[in-house]
Amino acid sequence: MGRIKNRIRRLRFDHDEMTQEELANRVGCTRQTIIALEQNKYVPSIELAFRVAKAFGVPLEEVFQYEDSQGG
Amino acid sequence: MAPLQKRAIYGIIFGIAWIIATVAVFILKGGATAFDTDQTFRLIMDSIWIGGLIVYLVLFYPILRKPNLVDERDKLIYDRSPRIQWLAIIFTLVAWVIGLSEAFRGQGVPTVFLYVMFFTILCVSAIAQCIGILVGYWSMNRNG
Repeated sequence: MGRIKNRIRRLRFDHDEMTQEELANRVGCTRQTIIALEQNKYVPSIELAFRVAKAFGVPLEEVFQYEDSQGG
Repeated sequence: MAPLQKRAIYGIIFGIAWIIATVAVFILKGGATAFDTDQTFRLIMDSIWIGGLIVYLVLFYPILRKPNLVDERDKLIYDRSPRIQWLAIIFTLVAWVIGLSEAFRGQGVPTVFLYVMFFTILCVSAIAQCIGILVGYWSMNRNG
C-alpha cells in the first residue's frame, strides 16, 4: 500500500501566501477540502489534482507524490 | 464546517422534531384505535410524513447541485452515507417486527405478515443493490 502526499501548503506559501479560500476558489472546491488535502486526509480525483497543479503553474508531480510504504 | 455537514446537523435536529411531532399527534389524536376510524387523523399523519420528506429533499437536493458549495469530497461522503442509512433501516425494521410480533402474538392478528414484509424488504434491497452495481457499470461504460 502506498500513500499520496502533497506539497500544497508549501506551494501556497511560495505563491504569495495564497489563502486556502483563494486556492479553493481557483480550483473549484471548498476550503474544507483544501484543509483535508493539506492534512493528507483526502486523496483528490485526478481532475482536482490537475486543477491544483494548474493553479500553482507546476507539473502534477511537483504537487503530489506517491510514497510506497514497501519502499518500492 | 462544510455546508453539507451543516445541513446534516440540521437534518438530525429536524428528524428528531419530526419523530416527536409524529408521536405527539398520534397520541393526542387517539392512537391506533382512532387511526382506523378518523379520516382527519390519517390525513394529518400523511401530511406529517410527506411534509418531512419534502423538508429533507429541500435540505439536500438543491445544495448538491451547487458546485461552489459542494465539491467531489462532499459528494463522496454523501454517496457513502446510505451505508449508515441502510443499517439504521434494518435495525428499525427488526425492532418493529420483533416488537409487534411479540405484542400481538396469540391475539388473532396474523403476525406472519410482519415477517413477510421484513423478508421482502431484505430481499428487494439485496437485489436492488445488485441492480445498482450493474446500472453503475453500464452507465460508466456508456458515459465514461
